[in-house]
Amino acid sequence: MEVGQMQRRLVDYTKSLFMEGFLDAQFLQLQQLQDESNPDFVVEVVSLFFDDSEKLLNDLTMALDQPNVDFKKVDAHVHQLKGSSSSIGAQRVKNACIAFRSFCEEQNIDATLRCLQQVKQEYYLVKNKLETMLRLEQQIVAAGGSIPMIELGF
Amino acid sequence: MGVPVKNLTDRLGGINLYGGSLSLITMDGKLLLNGIPNTKFIYANGTIFLQFMWPNGFKNFPCSNDTPETYKLDIDGKEYNVRCSTVEISGVQSVYALALSHEGIASFVYSKISYSHIALVVTMVLLVIPLVFFVSSMITNAQREICLHDKLIKQMEATQQAERKSMNKSLALVGASHDIRAALAGITGFIDLCLANAAPGSDFETYLKQMSLCAQDLLGLLNSILDTSKIEAGMMNLEEQEFNLADLIEHVVDLYHPVGMIKGVDVVLDPCDGSIIKLSQVKGDRGKLVQILSNILSNAVKYTVEGHVCVRAWVGKPDFETKILASTRKGLGKYMSSLFSGKNDGNSDIKAVSAVRQNRDSVEIVFEVDDTGKGIPKEKQKSVFENYVQVKETAAGQVGTGLGLGIVQSLVRLMGGEIGIVDKEFGEKGTCFRFNVFLTAFEIQGDAMYGGTNSSFAIRNCSPKLGICTPSPKLDGSQVVLFMQNIERRRVSQKFLESLGISVLVVDHCHHFPSALKKIQSKLNYLLNSSRRSDMSCRSDISSSSSKEMPLSAMEGTEHKLPFNRRKDTPSFILLVIDVNAESFSELWRVVAEFRRGLHSTCCKVIWLDKPTSPCIDPKRLNPDDEILLQPFHGSRLHRVIKLLSEFGNLSQGLSSSSESSKHPYGKTRLRHTQCNDEIQGYVSSSNERYSKQGSSSPTLERTRGRLKSKRKNKDGAESSNGEKPLIGKRILIAEDNKMLSILAITTATQLGADVEHCENGNEAFELVCDGLKAQRNYDYILMDCEMLPMNGYEATRRIRIEEERYGVRIPIIALTAHTSGTEAMEAGMDAHLNKPLKTNELIEVIESIETKE
Repeated sequence: MEVGQMQRRLVDYTKSLFMEGFLDAQFLQLQQLQDESNPDFVVEVVSLFFDDSEKLLNDLTMALDQPNVDFKKVDAHVHQLKGSSSSIGAQRVKNACIAFRSFCEEQNIDATLRCLQQVKQEYYLVKNKLETMLRLEQQIVAAGGSIPMIELGF
Repeated sequence: MGVPVKNLTDRLGGINLYGGSLSLITMDGKLLLNGIPNTKFIYANGTIFLQFMWPNGFKNFPCSNDTPETYKLDIDGKEYNVRCSTVEISGVQSVYALALSHEGIASFVYSKISYSHIALVVTMVLLVIPLVFFVSSMITNAQREICLHDKLIKQMEATQQAERKSMNKSLALVGASHDIRAALAGITGFIDLCLANAAPGSDFETYLKQMSLCAQDLLGLLNSILDTSKIEAGMMNLEEQEFNLADLIEHVVDLYHPVGMIKGVDVVLDPCDGSIIKLSQVKGDRGKLVQILSNILSNAVKYTVEGHVCVRAWVGKPDFETKILASTRKGLGKYMSSLFSGKNDGNSDIKAVSAVRQNRDSVEIVFEVDDTGKGIPKEKQKSVFENYVQVKETAAGQVGTGLGLGIVQSLVRLMGGEIGIVDKEFGEKGTCFRFNVFLTAFEIQGDAMYGGTNSSFAIRNCSPKLGICTPSPKLDGSQVVLFMQNIERRRVSQKFLESLGISVLVVDHCHHFPSALKKIQSKLNYLLNSSRRSDMSCRSDISSSSSKEMPLSAMEGTEHKLPFNRRKDTPSFILLVIDVNAESFSELWRVVAEFRRGLHSTCCKVIWLDKPTSPCIDPKRLNPDDEILLQPFHGSRLHRVIKLLSEFGNLSQGLSSSSESSKHPYGKTRLRHTQCNDEIQGYVSSSNERYSKQGSSSPTLERTRGRLKSKRKNKDGAESSNGEKPLIGKRILIAEDNKMLSILAITTATQLGADVEHCENGNEAFELVCDGLKAQRNYDYILMDCEMLPMNGYEATRRIRIEEERYGVRIPIIALTAHTSGTEAMEAGMDAHLNKPLKTNELIEVIESIETKE
């Protein structure tokens, strides 16, 4: 595919992610932090996010699987996850985490289990989207083009 | 008697009596002739009697009376008149009897007469009949003529009336144009006023914008109609204005190039023989010429979906016909010329035409616009120039009022030329319009831009825009490799470069590109080696070029032509012109890099042609010497590249030869660079990528991405004002346990120039601060996450504050909380709070506010 076309596709795709609420302005901040001295910043941060989140979700699953759920620990994990997701701009994950936390305070097992499912779902969605986006970027760079900047009117 | 009787009788007997007979007897009784049958003479009593003998008797007639007597007799069934009388023949008295048939001679005469009567009648008839025909046809002709004459008069009257009507219409329209335009201007103005007051994004605004567009369309349509009527009304006048023809053509072609590129059609400007470039300033009606060219070019682009549109222009050679017209002024010459030019009402036409052509300075410029589109079928070719006719087999969605070509034809004729459609070669599709106009040549540029053979010219022409003219003999030694996707553009560029004496190698397919480069490489190496071998005693030039180089024409095998006695060096310079459309950039770059590695002492420069709409070249990977030019590659950009060549040639020559050109090369190159600079920046202003050029050093292109609006990072890494890096030199401690947030914070702070240290919980933070206090090396700021385990941020801050009091310092601590309110933070002793995740601008604001407070 021609580079210009790919660039356009990337821009459209990224914009759609913002429109649908998968990403928020924080993600733009991340992109702005990427420069010549830090050329792969976004990719690194996103990969880190994936690793971190997988670990946290596993921990959460395990913690909620216990006969006696330690809500404090669960809360701590969710707090971490919330922090990570907000740092990358994964808006929907972050919101799901916020809801999760409130149920943790109530110590409501069923609700928290449901929240966990929701968080997982949102996480996998945004992971998919981010991976697609990064792949597009890689293709463009491999074809010799440059990544176009998104300017949103937020 | 004196005459022998025998002769007499013979003679008399020989008379043709036409059926009559003669008898003769002398008075003496001597019978001379007895012609009448059944008769004899009887002499009795002194008189002679003619005796007739019949079957039943005989009769006597007296014959010798002096007076002739006539008797009617019936001999053998025929009636005869017998005449008897005396006659004297030579003194001898004799009697004759002449018998003539009643009809006899008379009848003969009668028959003859009747014969001649008949003949006469026939002749008369024969004469009369044609006469009658003739007269009748004359009459009918006359009648017909009268009839036709009548009709003609009526027709002429009708025509004149129609013309008058149309003229009146045109005049009325022209008169009304002022009012129509005023009204339209009013509408547009009020729409704009409304737009200013409309709520942005509302339906109302959308409607208004649509209205504005419609008004503009209306204005455009109106203008075309009015143009036509103005021309018809004879009110269109030519303005005289000086302008540069080459620039104008390039400007129009560049206008349509983006439109064409979007469709995939390349719009190429073919400089042909370079004659237009020689002719720099002309006088004529610029606006109308632009109109003509734009119209034809827009048609060409509109009706072409693939391939190319090529615009050619050249100065026409003085016409044979015009020469004849110019030279023959009277008499036979005039007739002969009108004969040759095939005009019936020749003279008046010729006079009108020669009025334009006779101008001594007038030049004829011929334009051609050639496209590879649908083509116009032969039978419709004449009619497209008639107003209001548009060839109907157009693809869907192509609009046009059809007025264009008619106006164009009128305008061309007004400028003294003629427009027509040229037949293309068999098998080529598309249309080729050719037209010529007459302009006044204002100034013809002198000599070479290239080569610097003449000192005065090299000094005078500093601006690269002036003409390129004669091929310079010093251009050998440069080799140009053209790699372009579009066939027509390639051909055109190659022809032009070759006409200037530059050797060109054309690569048309990406597969051939590496092999072509290798070929050049090998030739260069060969030449290099051979020159080294044979040339040891010669001095070599300071720079890599020389004054007498071997022209590299890679297509012919020139290896065997090396003259060993000449002082030579390697060919100086290779210029690669690469069109990025043709192949992916990284692939091309790879090939070029390989090629470069293979070159030893030859200079190689690459010009990359990039698209202005979506630049796809990564400037980071380019050599510092390479340049990026934006397409289209023709006109002034082509000239600039050519100057590169000669300048490089000049550059060294300036060093080795002492003359004027020594002061130019750097000045010129600098000028060129800054002009490249300006032009590229002019193109790129609207694109997302920001290209900026460094100042006086070799031109490098830099891409800055994602900078904050007020800040720009300098590629050279020169430390600039504090505005760009406010935290430069500051030490910041970041206490954050979440990995991601900590990375974010660290990077943010580092980007602002700070030295960052990181710890993961409150304990560590406290310890680090204490160490710093002890060592008298304090942090300038601390970014403290509030939710940390085992010791959270608040606790850590409290402890730090206590510790600080011992030393009398207060380090600004900024809280990073997930909560919106910072009350707890402030109570703990923090100086400010920020929300997670950390944002750069917020950090700066907070730091500034801390600074100002202190």
